[in-house]
Amino acid sequence: MSIDFWGLGLQAVNVLILVWLLSRVFWRPVSAAIANRQKAATALIADGKDKQGKAEAALAEATRARDGIAQERTAALDAARAEAEAATKAALEQARTKADTLLVAAKTTIDKTTEAARKANATEATGLALTIAADLLGRMASPAVQSGFLSHLIAAIGKMPEGDRAALVDDPAGIEIVTALDAGEKGAAERKKIVQAVHKALGGTPDLRFVTDQDLIAGLELRSPHFVLRNSWQADLAQITKAVKDAA
Amino acid sequence: MNSPLASVTLFQLGPFAITQAIVTTWAIMVVLVVGAFALTRRLEASPSRRQAALELIVTTIDSQIRDTTGANPAPYRGFIGTLFLFILVANWSSLIPGVEPPTAKLETDAALAILVFLSVIWFGISAGGVGGWLKSFAAPNPVMIPLNMLESVTRVFSMFVRLFGNVMSGVFVIGIVASLAGLLVPIPLMALDLLTGLVQAYIFAVLAMVFITATVEDGKSEPPSPTNEDI
Repeated sequence: MSIDFWGLGLQAVNVLILVWLLSRVFWRPVSAAIANRQKAATALIADGKDKQGKAEAALAEATRARDGIAQERTAALDAARAEAEAATKAALEQARTKADTLLVAAKTTIDKTTEAARKANATEATGLALTIAADLLGRMASPAVQSGFLSHLIAAIGKMPEGDRAALVDDPAGIEIVTALDAGEKGAAERKKIVQAVHKALGGTPDLRFVTDQDLIAGLELRSPHFVLRNSWQADLAQITKAVKDAA
Repeated sequence: MNSPLASVTLFQLGPFAITQAIVTTWAIMVVLVVGAFALTRRLEASPSRRQAALELIVTTIDSQIRDTTGANPAPYRGFIGTLFLFILVANWSSLIPGVEPPTAKLETDAALAILVFLSVIWFGISAGGVGGWLKSFAAPNPVMIPLNMLESVTRVFSMFVRLFGNVMSGVFVIGIVASLAGLLVPIPLMALDLLTGLVQAYIFAVLAMVFITATVEDGKSEPPSPTNEDI
């Protein structure tokens, strides 16, 4: 057994050449392709992670925006609700005030209307009562009543101040004695009795004239240009009417 | 039958006796280089089946280098990968009738062993300089320097003898059986020879890688002692 060292060296050179050639045509290109694809994959992964990060950031931003919108919506709803409640309360208060005012005005109007109606009714009733009273009193007029009025007249003259009676006696125009009955219907005796009683009560003899006024219903009154002594149911009814009106 | 140790000289080229093993080596070189060039002409980002197969070969060799030594495979890929492919194709070339594998000859295996021996020196000096390479002989301590120096020779010699013995014996046995039992009987032995060729190529490449990285690692400066926190 022997070794051919020239052949050994040639084989070594052959293998070295093969190593050099394969490094250039096989190992480097294939490993470069692997490295390039790994780099591309890494870049893709990095890009994907970047996009994922951006997407997550966008999602977080959208979530924050959505939360902000929700908060704004809640705040807007609360504000609108508060404003609506305030407006409702104000409108309610205004309506209540207006209603109270209207109620007060209506009540006042009703009171006024009622009072006016009551007064009108009272006035009408008073007038009707006076008419009825005047009618009834007219039916009750009689000599006895007339005599009573004469007594009242004499008493009233007696209550007059002395000066007034003297002025009345001295009145040159004379004094009218107004009666409800026609003078013709009265007897001369009755007239004389009245004149005498008046003269006596006045303490003088003034000129006396009899005048008939059926509006008196019944009674005797003295009238002069400057003096009236009322003594009749008409005067009484007028006084009652005045008192009723004043009371109303 | 010729001796399996004898080389048949085809022709003489100056001082070089061109044997059948050398011619077969050239043929294997042409096939590998042309095939690699043809297969790697159009590499694309989206790999075809052809490109995927090529990348699988490269990735597998890279992972073997990384798993065996823990080193970055890039500096060693060309040398170790070429050793593996060449030895594999050379071992399997025995399947071609009339072709004797170059690795069944002493010169080829000795050349491969010498290349591994030189590559250990080359990568050791490249990684740690001459001092680093010399320092690698003092690992784990200077007492081991003579043994390490002796080992640096004997280990590649053992690689050479192992590869030569396995391949040559396979060829020899198949030749004997074929001469005794006929055409079809050696087929199981040839199938076994395929497995043997693959295993021997793998062992040779892995051992070469282990020797290189051991020298590189031993030539580097001492790493800091691990602290309790590191542990």
